[in-house]
Amino acid sequence: MQVQNNPETLLRVEHLCQYFGPTKAVDDVSFDIHKGEVFGLVGESGCGKTTTGRSIIKLYNITSGSVYFKGVRIAAGKKSYLDAIAEAKKTAKENPERRAEMETVIAEQRRLLREADNDQKNCDKMYSSQLQAEVKAKYETLLADAPEGERDELKRRYRDEMHKAKKTKLVTQIQMIFQDPIASLDPRMTVREIIAEGLQIQGERDKKVIDDKVYEMLELVGLVREHASRYPHEFSGGQRQRIGVARSIIMNPELIIADEPVSALDVSVQAQVINLLNELRERFGLTILFIAHDLSVVKYFSDRIGVMYYGKMVELADSDELFLNPLHPYTRSLLSAIPLPDPIYEKNRKRIVYNPLAEHDYSVDKPSFREIKPGHFVQCNDAEYEKYLTILK
Amino acid sequence: MAHKLEVNNLRISFRTVNGKVQAVRDISFHLDQGETLAIVGESGSGKSVTSKAILGIQAANAITESGEIIYEGMDLLKISEEEFHKIRGDKISMIFQDPMSSLNPIVRIGKQLTEAMVLKGKARQRESRANFNSYLKLLENAMVASSDAADAAKIRKMCGDFDKFEFKHIELEKAYSEARENAADALDAVNILTFEMEKNAHNDSTYRVGEIVSRSKGSKHEYVVSDKYPRLSELAGKLNGQWRRARRSRDYSEILPTLYEMRDILNEALAKPTPDFFRMGYYVTFSGQPLPDMPVPEMNEYLLNYLNDSFMNEFVRYAERAVEHSADESYAKMSEAINVLNAGLPVFAEEKLDRKACREELKKLSAAVMATVDKLNIHKDSLTYTFNSSMKSEIDTYFDSIGKNAKEVRAHDRAQKKYDKAVARGKAPDYEVADAAVIDLELVKGNISHLIVRLVQHYEQLLAERGTRDYEAETVAAIDYLKTNASGVVEKVTKSVAKRRAIKLMEEVGIAEPQRRYKQYPFEFSGGMRQRIVIAIALAANPDILICDEPTTALDVTIQSQILELINRLKAERKLSVIFITHDLGVVANMADHVAVMYAGKIVEYGTSEDVFYHAAHPYTWALLSSMPDLDTNEKLEAIPGTPPNMIYPPKGDAFAARNKYAMQIDFERQPPMFKISDTHYAATWLLHPDAPKVDPPKAVRDRIERMRMKREENANASAE
Repeated sequence: MQVQNNPETLLRVEHLCQYFGPTKAVDDVSFDIHKGEVFGLVGESGCGKTTTGRSIIKLYNITSGSVYFKGVRIAAGKKSYLDAIAEAKKTAKENPERRAEMETVIAEQRRLLREADNDQKNCDKMYSSQLQAEVKAKYETLLADAPEGERDELKRRYRDEMHKAKKTKLVTQIQMIFQDPIASLDPRMTVREIIAEGLQIQGERDKKVIDDKVYEMLELVGLVREHASRYPHEFSGGQRQRIGVARSIIMNPELIIADEPVSALDVSVQAQVINLLNELRERFGLTILFIAHDLSVVKYFSDRIGVMYYGKMVELADSDELFLNPLHPYTRSLLSAIPLPDPIYEKNRKRIVYNPLAEHDYSVDKPSFREIKPGHFVQCNDAEYEKYLTILK
Repeated sequence: MAHKLEVNNLRISFRTVNGKVQAVRDISFHLDQGETLAIVGESGSGKSVTSKAILGIQAANAITESGEIIYEGMDLLKISEEEFHKIRGDKISMIFQDPMSSLNPIVRIGKQLTEAMVLKGKARQRESRANFNSYLKLLENAMVASSDAADAAKIRKMCGDFDKFEFKHIELEKAYSEARENAADALDAVNILTFEMEKNAHNDSTYRVGEIVSRSKGSKHEYVVSDKYPRLSELAGKLNGQWRRARRSRDYSEILPTLYEMRDILNEALAKPTPDFFRMGYYVTFSGQPLPDMPVPEMNEYLLNYLNDSFMNEFVRYAERAVEHSADESYAKMSEAINVLNAGLPVFAEEKLDRKACREELKKLSAAVMATVDKLNIHKDSLTYTFNSSMKSEIDTYFDSIGKNAKEVRAHDRAQKKYDKAVARGKAPDYEVADAAVIDLELVKGNISHLIVRLVQHYEQLLAERGTRDYEAETVAAIDYLKTNASGVVEKVTKSVAKRRAIKLMEEVGIAEPQRRYKQYPFEFSGGMRQRIVIAIALAANPDILICDEPTTALDVTIQSQILELINRLKAERKLSVIFITHDLGVVANMADHVAVMYAGKIVEYGTSEDVFYHAAHPYTWALLSSMPDLDTNEKLEAIPGTPPNMIYPPKGDAFAARNKYAMQIDFERQPPMFKISDTHYAATWLLHPDAPKVDPPKAVRDRIERMRMKREENANASAE
């Protein structure tokens, strides 16, 4: 089990690739999300923002790369190892004298491959057995010390917690809020059932505890207890999105992936939901991966922003820095397209057109993702790197 | 000038099980040619209902209670479905919000794009032919009537000549513009291919090569690619072979010189001056001589003189007299009609209307009103044209309502009785009895009288303005009208033309590899792509009025920006009028000439976009402006508390009062009228009443306006340096 320890970093994505057949939806994307921050992900539709979010939460099996959550590798792809093995085999075939060397390489890659496979499949199991061990250790001493009368009660509690520990998955600490508040709620379930479903799956069996939790969540997101017994169609769009938020918050997550949570809402309601997310974030110290295409909202809400273009991350920086010093031509083009509520400005706004063929010459000098200035990364090659450095000066 | 589209006192409700939902409550606005009107508001404010009413596609349970939507002398609320077929999608087109439900899942994208173009193309051809013939005939008759009897034969011959050479003109012009368009397209393809070859990359280059070859073949014309044509076609042939070789070897150095030479030839061809084909058409038809051999500008001059001397001056003189004569006749009829209308008024003002008397009287009035129509005037007087249908529908409503009202009251009484019984039995029913949906007969009667009075006033105004008419300009417009229709007759939309246009449109809305996408089905497109196809279909029809219902809400900024630019460009090119429905204020600022802010079925603020963004006056507009973050917002957003009111029981006073922190006592009691702030700016809020306390807009709004001003000045300074 691969583990990385850095308390600051809650989520670390390394060389994430997600291919669907020949389509490279996400191609070699790396970034960190720090504890307590809002990380914005922007880009045009089809650029792979949503796929990145879904890969992190393991809705897809990733093609290659790793995702570390709280230092534990929760997803790992095999393609890079398989490629390395094939490469080594080929080398060995062409140069028989390097055979021995290549064989060690192959063995090493095979070991990594097995490890990746293991992490991908068993990270939840391992996390749950770790929890079980903790519960066991806690109750062993308690049970030993407990007086005769309380023992049964204690045993019951022990069984309950053990049950929950068995059912708990590491990935449930990452929760998702979806774009469409209508499609993402089951029309045949009451609000209570929708919000409590996660808890029940996680092994909570006490009806009273569930109800209390549901009521607490409803009040937290600005709804009232009476709403619990209603069905989703009885609510307005903004209220439905609140239900979606309550459903994810009840799992007590550390990371929320909000996939375009306000795009489908009216302006006035958008403000309500953004304010709600901001409150929750302050209150619980939530970390949020915020995927959106409305740049004004992303700028307002995020601490750092990553810009994606055709499956690649092209620029990553603090949100103020990104809007002040956009370096990559695609980012510039994106920023020049934001409409602002100011007619005179709007009538004179010139959009910068981005054409990758015209902007870059990558025929010889291949680009990579480099840090131009502390915290400001850009996808560029050597020549562009020099150019960007002079711009920032 | 008359407005392109006028909406007056529109009132629409929906019949539901719980009662009547009042979706649109008495709104009026107008749209001029080449203008964009943005309608802003939350969902449920009645924006979409209004736009659907314009297109005649309301839900089955919708009741249009009053109002009119006037377009080209028709009241769209009253015309038949048959007539609507000619308008919908052709003259008035709509981009829908939901791309999933507006595309046919089992028909290829290409077919869906071209289908309407081909069908409407044929219909347009027929219509143009009919318009041309009938108008020329009218003009001819008026010319004869307004001149000496001795000139009649001459006039008839002139009109025949006009018919003849006008079609020659169109023929010549069509050949020219086809060749020119081909040359321009070939040049585009050459430029793109050159760029790709220089950058050592090729995307759909095989397609481009084919495009260049086929398009440059079609560019042969005396005034486009003439003497260089053999060289061009030779180069095109060479290009084909070179491309096949280069694709294998990946060495494009051989191709580039060929491309450069083609580019130069095409550039030169496109830079040539355009001859005037109208003049040329006359010369070719009647002079019996070949065209003079001289450079194009001089030739244009020469042809103009020839045309004027031998035909046009005289023709225009007769036409002008005809137009004036026809207008005079119309004015005389108007004075008569005023008397008839005034005399008819008492019939519709009686205590209880009589069906037969009403019908008879209407017949008389309509005849008098229709007699005032000036058939030579291209601008249709919509009040005259819609008078009969509006009156008829109001009268029908009156007599239908007598029976319906009784029925409604009976149904209501029954439901109430049932409810009371249940209560008496000690049950607590979980529903309320909706009020009877009774139509106010007095109101309908008022509407009828209003129609008559309004028309009388309208005629009086026209008579008063009689001296200000410019008959010369009207004559020119009339001849232009004939020309446009003639070109409509010749223009033929074949399948291949439609395909070419469709692919061009797809490129313009930002779809990569359009020729491949053209053959695919909707399921192969992502949501954003589908939305773009829907936009392309709406634009393909080449409409007069385009209604956009949140067209770009689901798209990302780059594509959104691209599509807004496209709509703005078409608007400028074709004088398109646009109704833009959205809640994104940034987009509104970009697109709108005028903005109408709607809340709970009413327009609460109306003005130019500068008025609304810089001098917003209604608290709801303030709330909208301050609830949206922009790039410099750091403080907490001011969300609008609560939800919109239940429109089954609309609030008595200002509908926004309950959510408004500036609300005063009167806001809850009486509806505010539209206060006039300036000639272009109106708002319905009691805050504008002279007795109201002075209230400033919220800080967030003021700050933003200030910030924007500073930013603009900064930019202006920066660009000045």
